[in-house]
Parts: sequence; C-alpha cells; structure tokens
Amino acid sequence: MYAVETLNLSKRYGKTDALRGLNFTVNEGEIMVILGPNGSGKTTLLMILCTILKPTSGTARVVGIDVVEEGTKVREVMGIAFQEARGFWRHKPSSILKFHASMFDIDPAKRQDLIERTMKDLELWESRDKMFMHLSGGQAKRLETAKVLIQQPKLAIFDEPTSQVDLRGKRKIWDKIRELRDQGSTIIVATNEVREAEYLADRVTILHQGQRVVCDTIPKLKDAIAGGDIVEVDFEDPVSGKLVDDLNGLGGDVSLLSDGNQLRAKVSRAEDWVPKMTSASYVAGAKIASIRITEPSLDDVFLHFTGKALADQP
Amino acid sequence: MSQLSRLVHIARTDFSYFFRTKWLMAVLISLSLSDMLVVGLVYGRLIPTKFAGLTYFQFLVPGIVVVGLFSAATDTGRRIWLALREGVVQYYLTLPIRTGGLVGAYIISGGLGGIVYSGALLVIAYVALSFLGPTAIPVQGILYALVLIPFLFVLATGIAGLAAFFASVSRRGEMYWVYAQALQVSMVTISTVFYPAQTIARYLPAPIATIAEYNPLSLAAGILRDSAFAGNPLDTSALTNLLATSLPLAALGAFAYWIILRTIRLKGKP
Ligand SMILES: Nc1ncnc2c1ncn2[C@@H]1O[C@H](COP(=O)(O)OP(=O)(O)OP(=O)(O)O)[C@@H](O)[C@H]1O
Ligand SMILES: [Mg+2]
Repeated sequence: MYAVETLNLSKRYGKTDALRGLNFTVNEGEIMVILGPNGSGKTTLLMILCTILKPTSGTARVVGIDVVEEGTKVREVMGIAFQEARGFWRHKPSSILKFHASMFDIDPAKRQDLIERTMKDLELWESRDKMFMHLSGGQAKRLETAKVLIQQPKLAIFDEPTSQVDLRGKRKIWDKIRELRDQGSTIIVATNEVREAEYLADRVTILHQGQRVVCDTIPKLKDAIAGGDIVEVDFEDPVSGKLVDDLNGLGGDVSLLSDGNQLRAKVSRAEDWVPKMTSASYVAGAKIASIRITEPSLDDVFLHFTGKALADQP
Repeated sequence: MSQLSRLVHIARTDFSYFFRTKWLMAVLISLSLSDMLVVGLVYGRLIPTKFAGLTYFQFLVPGIVVVGLFSAATDTGRRIWLALREGVVQYYLTLPIRTGGLVGAYIISGGLGGIVYSGALLVIAYVALSFLGPTAIPVQGILYALVLIPFLFVLATGIAGLAAFFASVSRRGEMYWVYAQALQVSMVTISTVFYPAQTIARYLPAPIATIAEYNPLSLAAGILRDSAFAGNPLDTSALTNLLATSLPLAALGAFAYWIILRTIRLKGKP
C-alpha cells in the first residue's frame, strides 16, 4: 500500500485548472519532495491531501483512506505545516503547541518535555513569551514546523517549510524533518528551492502546471538528462554568436546556453569536450577567464523536463 | 481524545480568546460597571418612581446583565470573522474532528462566553445591591438565578448563532462590523431591556411592541427581574418562549457557519 496515492486528481478554481489529472504516489517511510515553480499546484495538492480542499474530480487516498469519504480518519493520521503560518494570534507558542498536542492525543506525561525540546531545537525558546501575532515571519514558520514535529503523524506534510527562515534555521528544520522520517513518518515536502530538495529528497516529483512531469530519485533524474556534466565557462568578453556556432560544430552531444560573458554547456564527457572547446576559443580569439565543471543540478533537470528554468529563490 | 472532548477543547480555547482580548475586556467591563453603578445607583436615587413594582436599580441591573450576555456572546461573531481572516479556520479544518463538531464548538463557546460574563455581572450586581441598594436580594432570587443558568446559556448560544450568521455572510469583509453594530442597536433598542413594555407600547407601533416582547433579550431580562431579583417563582411560559426564540437563532448560525466551511472546502477560501 502507498502512503499516498492520487488517481487522475483534478482541481479547478473558477477558470483556473490548478491540478490536471494528477497521478502521484508516495511510498511509506520516504521523504517525497514536490518541486515546482509558483502556481504549479503544490499547495492545492497538499490541501486536498489534508482534506481542507475537495477535489473537482479524481481520488486521493492517505494510507488507503479516501480523503473525501473519510476526512476525519485521514486527519487523525496526518499533520500539515502550512505555507503561511496559521496560529491563534493571542496565544503563546507553547500553548499553541499544547493545544495541537492534545488534539492529537500526544501522551500528556511527555507533552511538556517534547514541546520544550522541540522549541529549543528550532530556536523558538527565546520567543516563548511572545504572542503568535508578534512572532516574525520566520519564527511563525518554525512554529508551524514544530506543530508537526511534536505530532509525529504517520503522514507529515510540509509546504515550503523554510521559506522566510534563515540559513541556520533551514538546516535545523531539514535535519528535524529527516529525523522525523527516521522515526517512521512518511513525509511530503513541497518547495521551489532546489537546495531544499537536494538536501531532503529520497525522491522528487516535479510538478508543472498541475501535472506530474517526472518522479524519481535525484541521481536517476540527473542521469536521465542527456550528457553527464555541466561546464561553465567565463570569457573576458561577451560570447559571440560565431563562437557559439563554432562550439556547436565541435560534435558530440552538446547543448549550449550563453548569457553575457558566460557560457553554460551540457556535455556528455567534460574531459573530452573541454580541450576541444579551449582550442576552438583560442582560434576564435575569445579569452577564457575561468572554467568550472559541475554535475547537473535539479535546476537543469527541471529545465530539461519542462523547457523552462525554475527560478531559484534567495 | 474522543470527538466530544475535542469539541469541548476547541470551544474552551476559542472561549479563552474572548478573555485574552484585553481592550475588549476593558471596554466591556468599564461600560457594564459604569452603567450599573453610576447610572443604576445614582439615577436610582434620583428617580424614586417604581417601574413594574421595582426600583430603577432593580429594573436596570437585569438589563445590564442581559446586555453583558449579549456582548459576550456576539464576540463569537468577531472570533469567527477573525478566524476566517487570519486563516485559523483552515487550521481547524485539519484537526481530527467532524465539521459539525467544529461548528458546535463555536456556538458552545459563544454560549460559555455569554454565561460566564453575565454571571460575573450578576454576582457584582448582587454584591452591589446588598451593600448599596435600597432593598436586599431575597434568597430565593439567588436560587432562581442558579436554575436560570442553563436557560441563559441557550440564549447565549442563540445570540452567538446570530453573530456567527453575520460573520459568515460577511466572510472576510469589514461589513461584519456594520452588521454587528446594527444587531446590537436593534436588539437592545427594540426590547424591554432598558425600559418597560408599557413605555414601548405607548410610543411605538404595535408590531414593534410585539417584537420587543418576544425579543429573547426582553424575555431574559424579564425573567431575571421577576425571579432572580424580585424572588417570584419562575414563569415557565416565559422560559419556554426564551428557548423557542433562542434555539432557532443558534441553528441559523450553525448552518451559516457550516456553509462557510463547505465553501472553503470547495473554493479554497471563504
Ligand atoms: N483559492 C484559490 N482560488 C482561485 N485560484 C487559486 C486558489 N488557490 C490557488 N489558485 C490558483 O491555482 C494555481 C495553483 O496554486 P497553488 O497555490 O497550488 O500553487 P503552488 O505550487 O503552491 O505555488 P507557490 O509556489 O506560489 O506556493 C495558481 O494558478 C493559483 O493562482
Ligand atoms: Mg504553495
């Protein structure tokens, strides 16, 4: 049985098709990252899974339970950290967490301890006396994550858990999410940040315009792109069209992208292509400032499968 | 946790929101107390006439208690409106409780707010009356007041329902405040909360006098006057009328709120 399974799932808001016949599965005990740009339908999918939103058509099941038919049962086994933090404005973080813990039957003997530890882990302890409405955006997001961590649900959903959170906080949250998986939860993380996906994912589903483009482990996704390496070359002067033509004429499976002084090439073997490229550049009189050879990133994967760049958020 | 204990827990948390809003508490308490102590006691000595056999203070204080109940119960509307606006409703919708339970929790929390706040006013009134008032409170009056608690609770759920209705129809818009103000003015004005039925009958057309008579606030103020303050036995037909007018209002509010939750499920927003 899948932890999550959707069949031909669609959601239409007025004239907007947010999800279009989505088939999506998550295995038990894995971290599934849903990667997609703004408006690709990530939040819509997660809202349907957590029963807030009714699909227009198709079905969705969480640990075998239908989200429309048996919403209350689904809610017993899942927890969600919203993209926009939602809390009682006039409560302090610990009472928000206490309320959440009691709703989900967390052992009262362990509750206080668990809350304190989680708040300390997520660096919320210093803000313990502030009301929710006085928390900063990042602090509120940490609290949102803390709710789900305390709950330890069978299915834990995080919608862009580290947007607005500083780099140090991101690391903490990512490590806690992994820890949650190691304790047996199945996890879905929606994000448009490649770094987040690379850090967390057991598998990645790329979502684009409400449809699943591809789903696999990160190494397999990278292998699937034609060519194994990415070569980034900085020239001292802007790259001319003639140079691009020359380089394209070198043969091999190459795709080139030039932008100002920079050239980005996806090639099958960097060690074969780079010497040929340097001599061709020399002949063309283009001076090279630096060369970097890297693996393709998920950005490249996204570009490859959708034909569009996934703008990396700061 | 069972469905019922979750419902109670949500109601309690929402109810505590009423007391957490400090400005609201400050405004309410100072208004209620100044009405009661200044207007009631000072005017009560200036106006020696008796209304329906009661001193002005005895007449006015039950009205203030009922208005306190009204204000505290209508706060449910504000809380629903805030929850819709701040998006806490979506959080509630992820909790393992049925939608009906969520609706019930809000109505019950309005009932609790009304009863706790008006109960406190009643106690203050009793204390003020026994120290400062012209006449003492009969002991039966206090016993009747205890018997009245569940009836006042039902009244408060009715008022909460009405407020929930207006909060639901105004969704996230500012219109809610207009509705709330209009509700307060009309329900308190067209009632016998602050003046006796004869006064209304003399100055206003008959249909309005009838509405005032069956306004649940009038009924409650009347019962409090007759029984909790004057110590007369409880009037069962007035109690029946109180339930008959309050329960449909509670049902209306529950229905409107339920519709809003369904809308969120369909459209993703209220
Ligand atoms: N409540 C709504 N009413 C109408 N349209 C909506 C609503 N919610 C989302 N949409 C539309 O549905 C599409 C998918 O939105 P969704 O929020 O699921 O995207 P997302 O992948 O989560 O984006 P982001 O990365 O910005 O969070 C978008 O075109 C959006 O404008
Ligand atoms: Mg989103």
